[in-house]
Amino acid sequence: MDLIANLATGFAVALTPANLAFCFLGVLIGTLVGVLPGIAPITTIAILLPFTFTLPPASAMIMLSGIFYGAQYGGSTTAILVNLPGESSSIVTCLDGHQMAKQGRAGPALAIAAIASFFAGTIATIIIAVASVPLSALALKFTAAEYFSLMVLGLTGSIALAHGSAVKAVAMVLLGLLLGLVGIDVNTGLPRMTLGIGELGDGIGFVAIAIGLFGISELMIALSRPQDRTLLSVALSQLWPSRKELKDCLPAMLRGTAIGSILGVLPGGGAALSSFASYAVEKKISATPERFGRGAIEGVAGPEAANNAGAQTSFIPLLTLGIPGNAIMALMVGALMIQGIQPGPQVMTAQPQLFWGVIASMWLGNLMLVILNLPLVGLWVSLLRVPYRILFPAIALFCCIGTYSISNSQMDIGLMLLFALAGVFFVKVGAEPAPFILGFILGPLMEENFRRAMNLSRGDPMVFAERPISAALLVLTALLLVVLILPAVRAKREEVFQE
Amino acid sequence: MTRVNTADLAFGLFLMAVAAVALYLIAELPMGSTSRMGPGYVPRALAVMIALIGAFIAGRALFAAGEAFPDIAWRPILLVGAAVGMFGLLLPRLGLAGTAFMVVLVAGSASKDMRWRELLLIAALLSTFAVLLFVKALGLPMPIWPVV
Repeated sequence: MDLIANLATGFAVALTPANLAFCFLGVLIGTLVGVLPGIAPITTIAILLPFTFTLPPASAMIMLSGIFYGAQYGGSTTAILVNLPGESSSIVTCLDGHQMAKQGRAGPALAIAAIASFFAGTIATIIIAVASVPLSALALKFTAAEYFSLMVLGLTGSIALAHGSAVKAVAMVLLGLLLGLVGIDVNTGLPRMTLGIGELGDGIGFVAIAIGLFGISELMIALSRPQDRTLLSVALSQLWPSRKELKDCLPAMLRGTAIGSILGVLPGGGAALSSFASYAVEKKISATPERFGRGAIEGVAGPEAANNAGAQTSFIPLLTLGIPGNAIMALMVGALMIQGIQPGPQVMTAQPQLFWGVIASMWLGNLMLVILNLPLVGLWVSLLRVPYRILFPAIALFCCIGTYSISNSQMDIGLMLLFALAGVFFVKVGAEPAPFILGFILGPLMEENFRRAMNLSRGDPMVFAERPISAALLVLTALLLVVLILPAVRAKREEVFQE
Repeated sequence: MTRVNTADLAFGLFLMAVAAVALYLIAELPMGSTSRMGPGYVPRALAVMIALIGAFIAGRALFAAGEAFPDIAWRPILLVGAAVGMFGLLLPRLGLAGTAFMVVLVAGSASKDMRWRELLLIAALLSTFAVLLFVKALGLPMPIWPVV
């Protein structure tokens, strides 16, 4: 069995003391930022990126991915106990989770959230391991035309799933693509849009943009909101759900895992969308939908399974095709490239230790998270008593140090400031920055593949339609666009994001 | 409510301005042909698309009533922005210990409920922590004390 041999390779890497430590550090930090509202995993990963330079690639990826899925666990704790979503993916957990806490059932709510997450995490790990081999094999057959079409599909997906206006999301993607092209043109060696600044020859620093857009600008916006939290003093007398509750939850967990696994792979998808979809499904098929919003345990189990499954399967396009499906995965691409690894289907064969090590670490990380979250839940809750006015100067300082340390460049700090201000502007006008960062990462790749495909076809754009895989990807893109424009779907989409 | 959608109008004009700057900067770059694209081909195509979409968003905003442009809280933007700018300017000369202290002080004063004594204490603690973690433990090449 190849699968078992591969997983054995992976566990051999993930179980080394150093990597176990990095995995633990990652899920610990993830839980921390998940619990604290106002610090998103994307910000944390952006801040920590520069410090992963000196680590071996596998350790860096193990830690960074731990932050991402760890935050899904932590986010639910805050949602249940404080009725504040620690992360956007735990918004729906507030609905029933907090109601359960008010009814004195905080223990079972927290336990079921952790159990559902672990259950989904285990299945998602297996799905990644099984699906990645054939997908990588398929991807190795890709030529420039297929890659280009795949990226078009990915970007369209991120537009479809962005919050708010789709037209603005298109604009943000294009803006990202354009800024991604700043720097020396690889084919001719001519500088493009560098304003004659030598440092811009390598392009605009990715870390400076990411930390500016997601770190500093988030601080500027968060500080203008009132910072009050009311802690529900809950007695965690009984932690475990009853056998009946567990039985009620099992189908919801299974459905949540399935929904999350599928939506996670989709371009632009991921954890938040999966949890919304799962909640809607559970409410719809329930025999007693009126219980939802009043402490229905399925309303916690389903979305919690879905967000964790979605968080993990969103690694599939990155690991097998080298194409990031959402903004966090775009940061992971950044992390790999800093390490000198070009993400793509060749990573699996060229770097099996890295590839399978990261996958195996996800399961170990999930196991650690259950232990971290259930017995230690009191500790995390007490963290919420740390006021934001103490936290945010520290975040600002770490953002600065992180960006500066990339190349000891004052200009990177200037760029970070510029993009922080742009980030505030984008939020104020209702344009989401996530499609921008995806476009920024894909810009150079897309241009290169577009130019190569057109060169090979002697300038005939039909090459994208004549190659079967490329054509199929473009048909999918067209379908997505049609669906997006249909008035009924548009109304529904706005309704979903309203909730 | 205002007669035009000011937020959309601002975003549309912003897009058109970015596209104009980009087109100006790449004006000299060769376009090439479709089979052998020059360095100017794709950026120019993107800039034109951005300009068009910007014009669309701005044009649509003129005929749609919308909310007034959202209020901007300038205090956190200016103070956090100033703190970041100071970090970039001061670090190479003043060293991490002093810079971190200043950055935390300035950024920290952005909060409405800040208290001076507490903030001084946090600044001192964070500055020490940053020096120990980033320079001593992680070995980042930054000066700790002022460079003469």
